[in-house]
Amino acid sequence: MKRTLSIISLSELCQLENIENEVIIEIVEYGIVKPVEDSETADWEFETSSVYWIKKAVQLYQDFEIDWLAVALLIELMQQRDSLRKENEFFNNSLNAFCNIKYTRWNNLATMPANIYLI
Amino acid sequence: MEFKDYYKILGVSADAEAQEIKTAYRKLARKYHPDMNPDEGAEEKFKEVAEAYEVLKDKGRRAKFDDLRKYGRQSAGGFEPPPGWQAKRSTGFENEFQFDNQFSDFFNSIFGGGAFQQAHFNGHSQQRQFRGEDVETDLAVFLEETLHQQIKTVAYQLPVYDGKTVRHIKKHLNVKIPQGVSDGERIRLKGQGKPGHGGGEAGDLYLHIRLVPHPLFDVQGADLILTLPVAPWEAALGAKVTVPTLEGSINLTIAPNSQSGKKLRIKGKGLKRKAVTGDLYAILKVIMPPTSNDEANQLWRKLAEINAFDPRTEWGERK
Repeated sequence: MKRTLSIISLSELCQLENIENEVIIEIVEYGIVKPVEDSETADWEFETSSVYWIKKAVQLYQDFEIDWLAVALLIELMQQRDSLRKENEFFNNSLNAFCNIKYTRWNNLATMPANIYLI
Repeated sequence: MEFKDYYKILGVSADAEAQEIKTAYRKLARKYHPDMNPDEGAEEKFKEVAEAYEVLKDKGRRAKFDDLRKYGRQSAGGFEPPPGWQAKRSTGFENEFQFDNQFSDFFNSIFGGGAFQQAHFNGHSQQRQFRGEDVETDLAVFLEETLHQQIKTVAYQLPVYDGKTVRHIKKHLNVKIPQGVSDGERIRLKGQGKPGHGGGEAGDLYLHIRLVPHPLFDVQGADLILTLPVAPWEAALGAKVTVPTLEGSINLTIAPNSQSGKKLRIKGKGLKRKAVTGDLYAILKVIMPPTSNDEANQLWRKLAEINAFDPRTEWGERK
């Protein structure tokens, strides 16, 4: 039986992923991820879900040669997009359950069914 | 070995200035980066572009590549380096990038691997051991399974390099999934990723939790939403109905004169998270009987006569 872990310490994260301390501090300072508790840097721990975003941040920083502020903005928008997609899916499901209609995006008024358009 | 013309990949001439190379790379990175472009093949294209830039942005590497490009030749068997030319192997890092899978054979044969280091991110570049890469796999979890700790079998594939080729082996792990996992969460299994090299430890496995859509319940945060169909007379007169939850069913009282769309909260019957337990919301949906008969129609008519109700008053006077 394998045990799953949901927390990783700063030192383990740096060592395993070959990322320097200072880089993680930048990533936290720009609000890309935050430690589980607001403690001394050396005692920082992160949720394992954050590791994905830390690695993504390092990757974007290197690939696009952009600064941490831009990385932070990019990641915030990515996360916003993900949650909007999820929310959209939820509303679509609710709409389907309630109206028994398949939701279609009406791109313009001309393609909207007459009975809705004329009200 | 296939020759890669890094200038052609970036779409610049062989005498391009450093700034021109940088601009070309950035434009292509914007176009093909896997985070910007989900199309199939974009990621491969980006890797090629990144490799070209890795070589051309560095003066030393660019000079070496220029020599090879000038004096090597293309033959039927592929690209041949000029006579006497030998890839410089520095400090025993030979296989680093072959394992890493990041760069092409062509890159590895010219620059060995030791020549390239991940600049300031790589605090351990002098080690000869290499830790295996982390691996991520999606794990489908049913809503019911999040209520208690579960043991699930995770099946995934790992690429294994046997010194010549890369094979994919299937792995199965029995894993304890903690109670209260949520959609999109990632949990870690130490040492279950790609194997390390030169005695280095294995990478980790990350399980990306995906909640399977439920036929009855929608998820909103820790709450569950259920559409509860009721007959018109149940909505009018009130009723006691049996409602499913994730764990067994419960009885629910519908108040008389309930509106379609009304939300009924059933406390504590949502999803269980580490800190909170969500609620279940039943949303009433009044359903007309699909067929009618004379007797029923008579009763409806009677209802219409005694009710001065107009559901469309908000629209105002209409002709």
